Amino acid sequence: MNIEHPVNRRWSMRQRDWAVVFWIAFLSAAAGAFVLFGLVNPMDMVSAWADEYSIGVRLAYGLAFMFLYLVCLLASALTMFMIRTGPSRGHVKGKGRRSIPSVHDPSQSNPDLGDEDWK
Amino acid sequence: MTKDSGDSLYRKDPKVYPRDVTGKFASLRKLAVFALLGLYYIIPWLNWGGHQSVLFDLPARKFYILGLTFWPQDFIFLTLMLIIAGLSLFFVTAVAGRLWCGYACPQTVWTEVFLWLERLVEGDRNKRMKLDKSPWNSNKIIRKTAKQFIWISFALWTGFTFVGFFTPIRELGHSVFTFQLGGWETFWMLFYSFATYGNAGILREQVCKYMCPYARFQSAMFDKDTLVIAYDEPRGEPRGGRRKTDTPSEKGLGDCISCTLCVQVCPTGIDIREGLQIECIACAACIDVCDQVMDKMGYEKGLISYTTEHRISGEETHVFRPRIFVYSFLLLALVAGVIYSVNQRVLLRADLLRDRNALYRELPDNMIENVYTLKLINMDFQAHQYQIEVVGHDDMILHISPELSLEAEEVGNFILRMQAPSDAGRGSMKVDLRFSTLKEPVIERTVSTRFLLPFD
Repeated sequence: MNIEHPVNRRWSMRQRDWAVVFWIAFLSAAAGAFVLFGLVNPMDMVSAWADEYSIGVRLAYGLAFMFLYLVCLLASALTMFMIRTGPSRGHVKGKGRRSIPSVHDPSQSNPDLGDEDWK
Repeated sequence: MTKDSGDSLYRKDPKVYPRDVTGKFASLRKLAVFALLGLYYIIPWLNWGGHQSVLFDLPARKFYILGLTFWPQDFIFLTLMLIIAGLSLFFVTAVAGRLWCGYACPQTVWTEVFLWLERLVEGDRNKRMKLDKSPWNSNKIIRKTAKQFIWISFALWTGFTFVGFFTPIRELGHSVFTFQLGGWETFWMLFYSFATYGNAGILREQVCKYMCPYARFQSAMFDKDTLVIAYDEPRGEPRGGRRKTDTPSEKGLGDCISCTLCVQVCPTGIDIREGLQIECIACAACIDVCDQVMDKMGYEKGLISYTTEHRISGEETHVFRPRIFVYSFLLLALVAGVIYSVNQRVLLRADLLRDRNALYRELPDNMIENVYTLKLINMDFQAHQYQIEVVGHDDMILHISPELSLEAEEVGNFILRMQAPSDAGRGSMKVDLRFSTLKEPVIERTVSTRFLLPFD
């Protein structure tokens, strides 16, 4: 297999990550918007002060969806960031971690440091 | 899974039992804990201008913050304040590293209190370790039960206070003691108590190591002049045990006496001598304890210290660098902008909504009438009576019903009928309505609307 040249139409990890972030956030926002607008009319939600901009019902649906999408994108992207920058696979088995610091009684090798100094 | 040698490959991190520490930085942290938690627990009980000093009244959509009331229209200020808070974090991080983590983060602050309560009941590190290893005897049962009781009580009080920021806390306290608490209040109280208990009692350093996003991206704000906690390796190594009377150079030793106290006091259980690690929350417990050991041994303090990468490599540390200027400029501009615009706020809001049924109405005496719904919000802490005038149109007549007066913080709806002679204009004309208080203090707002007339 030739690794030097990327295979046509295969995405890099970063491309896959962002594609997943955008798509999952979209699905979540869409599902959220369905449930939300099944229950409430967006025109009831906007308060009177928004009236002066005379937001029509379509714009209200659009804005509410965009808001949901934005929130979902934020959560999605942050999750991707946390996972990608977090410990790698095998972490729980100790891979890639420093060894556990060893501790002992301070007075063990330093007789002048009696434990009474450290309660 | 096992290795060939038979050791388990699965390596469980041992529970961290931080040893109690005293010293300059521990005192600073205690001060921060007292100040921050003091504010948290006391502020909702204080009143300001006839209101709870900080109250996020979600049902009424009014936020009371220290004598200021924020209405939904003022949402921009809350957004700006959040941006200021975020920017301050960037600024502090660039200057002094993870100062937030070590002294001000709720995770640190509440963990500190939970640790203190634990120490109170179970004793310091060694006693706690011994107690955990010992079989379940009466002593262990009593101590563990007592600890859980204190922890849960403290967590419940925390949850109660949290809800008290959203529901008037005095009424809330009353309903708790008369067992008349609503379902949602109970839910949020228990939820927040559980979060406090879980984060500060159980998860502790794991939150910082695995869950905190700030810990991950703070490295982007770091540079070689940022304060970090570091071990002076050239001075400390080779480490080794010794007597106080020994001369280190004769024994071929550095200044580190390998007492491992820096590891024992670390709340995240790392060894700072292995270099800067992402787990380090810069709490400076290791500095405090190491300085005491150095004192005891008669060595110079500062084997572990707050320092910068530049200083470690023998270069000069620059406090004033471009990013500091950028952050402080942005911060100053935002703070000044918010203070200015909050002061310039007009405590009266008027919204005019045209009656949608009729564009205009022709009256018998050659007058044209437009009808509006007027929504007037008195954002002041006192009741006011208002008057309206049409700016620049003396021939226009206004009828308003009911009377234009509002209680403190009241929202009122009125019917406004505006009349103009039919020869005042054609089609549509812009009119400015000036609303003002009848008596002092003068609160004034002008809004524009369109007055519709026949086209022909």
